[in-house]
Amino acid sequence: MNIKFSAAFAIVMYLVIPFTLGDNNYLIGLVASALIIAGIAVAWALLGNLGGMVSFGHAAFFGVGAYTSAVLTMDHGVPVFVALVMGGIGASISSIFMMPALRLRGPYFALAILAYAEIFKILAVEATSITGGAGGLLSIPTLPVFMGIDFGTKLGGYIVILNIVCLTLITYHFIRKSTYGLALKAMHDSEMATRIVGVPATYLKIVMLLVSAFMTGSIGAFNAHYINFLEPDYAFSGSWTIFPIVAAIFGGYRTLSGPVLGALFIYLVDQLVFKSVMPQGHQLILGAMLAGMIILSPSGLLPILTKFFAPKKNIKKAEGQHA
Amino acid sequence: MELTAQALFTGLLMGGFYGLIAVGLALVFGTMKVINLAHGELVLLAAYIAYALESQTGLNPMLSLPIAMAVVIVAALVTFYLTNQIKKDRELNSLILTFGLGIVLTNGLLMVFSADIYSTQSSWFMEGVVIADSLFSMRSEMIAFIVGIAALGGLYWWLNHTWHGRAIRSVSSNRDAAKLMGMNPTKAELWSWGVAGVLAALAGVMLYVTSVIHPPVGHSLTIKAFVITVLAGMGSIPGVLVGAIMIGVIEGLTTTYFQSSLAELASMTVFLLVLLVMPSGLFGKKGAH
Amino acid sequence: MLKVEDLSVSFGGVRALQNVNFEVHKHEVLGLVGPNGAGKTTSFNVLSGVVKPVSGTVTYDGHDILKSSMHQRVTYGIGRTFQIPQPMHELTVRENLIVAQRFGRPDGKVKQDRIDEILESVNLSHKSESDAATELALTERKALEVAKALATEPTLLMLDEVLAGLETTSKKLFMETLKKIRKQYNLSMIVIEHDIETIMNMCDRVVVFNFGQVIAEGDPEETFRNPEVVRSYTGEVLA
Repeated sequence: MNIKFSAAFAIVMYLVIPFTLGDNNYLIGLVASALIIAGIAVAWALLGNLGGMVSFGHAAFFGVGAYTSAVLTMDHGVPVFVALVMGGIGASISSIFMMPALRLRGPYFALAILAYAEIFKILAVEATSITGGAGGLLSIPTLPVFMGIDFGTKLGGYIVILNIVCLTLITYHFIRKSTYGLALKAMHDSEMATRIVGVPATYLKIVMLLVSAFMTGSIGAFNAHYINFLEPDYAFSGSWTIFPIVAAIFGGYRTLSGPVLGALFIYLVDQLVFKSVMPQGHQLILGAMLAGMIILSPSGLLPILTKFFAPKKNIKKAEGQHA
Repeated sequence: MELTAQALFTGLLMGGFYGLIAVGLALVFGTMKVINLAHGELVLLAAYIAYALESQTGLNPMLSLPIAMAVVIVAALVTFYLTNQIKKDRELNSLILTFGLGIVLTNGLLMVFSADIYSTQSSWFMEGVVIADSLFSMRSEMIAFIVGIAALGGLYWWLNHTWHGRAIRSVSSNRDAAKLMGMNPTKAELWSWGVAGVLAALAGVMLYVTSVIHPPVGHSLTIKAFVITVLAGMGSIPGVLVGAIMIGVIEGLTTTYFQSSLAELASMTVFLLVLLVMPSGLFGKKGAH
Repeated sequence: MLKVEDLSVSFGGVRALQNVNFEVHKHEVLGLVGPNGAGKTTSFNVLSGVVKPVSGTVTYDGHDILKSSMHQRVTYGIGRTFQIPQPMHELTVRENLIVAQRFGRPDGKVKQDRIDEILESVNLSHKSESDAATELALTERKALEVAKALATEPTLLMLDEVLAGLETTSKKLFMETLKKIRKQYNLSMIVIEHDIETIMNMCDRVVVFNFGQVIAEGDPEETFRNPEVVRSYTGEVLA
């Protein structure tokens, strides 16, 4: 993501959208929800791109983060903003249970994570004393007033999630730039080559899993305080896995901007168009898009567009850069 | 003691049925190294076809098999065609692709049949059967078990004694060698997907008569199928039966001594333990590393 | 400095190494020779941690290295190359060396001038910004393989047929480069080569492998006169 693009993105998200849509609770809420998906998509892409790990289990991190934060604020009086961080930490801790799966190669890791996500979902339903069971938790505290700004409004919540997404992007950017990022990038196709020069491959993967879980968990926590309600089927819903994967694949998961733009586009189109055309089962189109993208262009829409618009010479470079 | 015997018996019957659900996934994985994450949805599709025919025409669900098979075979072959279009990193990308197709199927079923829960109208299937004076089961469970064992046995025979079956086996064990011997791997793969479709259709109709169906069931079936396949050691047919019975028994015991909602948790935990301790499964030769 | 004792390795029942013993002294260049499949590369794989042995001990600088992970051994100072070069994909040549410096050195510091020096010594300076996996010729890939190992700042460098496949002129040049590097960085080396001339030229001592066992060792010239060694080398013309 270059500077011009980042600046344009920041201006649109921080200035244009709040001032044009700020009064419309429905629309600003919609964009905020899209940003929730975007944040998870970035976290998913971080793990997929820099860790080389495809996860079908991010719903688990989302759910654990949500419940951690909700329970801490409701039962232990922890301030909401602190609880958002705790939600992330909770998700990271839950990811520790998944670490044995890091020994497994690609597809087996994906399947193991899917199984873990199911286990967490069942546990959430069963642990009624903590999660309220299938009945759910009601009246989770809203985001508070802080430095004179009421973050409990739809617009306030939008600003908070926007900040969270920007923080995840900045973190991703710096990890990618670091020597860790270089080593992780290389591990993708040449793990032996990296290990033989001393890269502790498993340790790096563990770090990426922790970071990705933290990001997803704190976003789950934000969501809990944004909608003030939780039940296991919702918090651990497969949607929290499906949407981000579609967004990241659609936008190109090996880029920084891809997952964010993909999420904004996918979520808004899904809610505004697909949902109105077919009120039930509109995720069908998401599934079809996912399948289509994997066949046509697994590295996202960007390479297709570049192919059409860029002069032929530059194609190779554009694909190689994964910018 | 009686309680345990009953739990083991129920588990055994469930195991035969689970084997039927899982074996199509195991077969395709064996030949193509593709884990079809839409497999459970294919099973569910057959179940819905049985429901549709029964509710529209009053047809006995068992008689809907030919139509269910036809539809599911076509769906399986479409899935095969699409996975074959993947250009790079097929092992991983096919997971995402079939995951997407599973979403398509689930939501397609949701659109057509709504989120309501259905089960067969015929009470004949629900009637009790008692074996050895004390072991109780529903007639449908018995049928599903017998069909499952028969299908697995038939498949095992087919793989070992027919030309197509042997072609599939040789392609699974060594693709390049099979090619050199004049076999067409794509044809063998096509056959394995077709047969997986037949098995999924059988499993789906059995699902409809033994249990209740609604759209999210497909996803759980997929998970159950790959849990069993991994337990079995990818691609081993006898292993599938043993893995399936193991899962069935674990679920039976958990349901009897704890509660039914924990059954899935127990089997999932066993799955993870096996995956981590023996990545190549209980009967597998090749490792996951 | 490196001491291998009673090392045995088996692959699915087949013994690849059987009670192998050898030592490498400080600043020595040891040659591992023998026919294909004799256990030379398997020895490298055990020393670098790619393969786990059935039994035996390996100590390096007082560390019992068989207990250490692959990346720990690198920080102890053991560097190696692979017969088929293994560049780190998606990185430039320089980035390959940055990663090797960062993770291969015990203190994890990246010194750019050291990287420049290494690139210079293996004649890769002009390629430092090229993509390591796709934009290098064979000689350059082999040079990068050595450079990567050097960037981890080893005290013992294990070279697995780095000269094989090169044509005579570049082979000679590369051999001189290796000798220069050895002096410059004060290295001990273990070298696997098939070419006897190369072995004679580079090594202080040789260990001869056949069927997973050490059948002879000693001064290169004397050892190659040993009739048993000659017999094991069926099909190879001796100098």
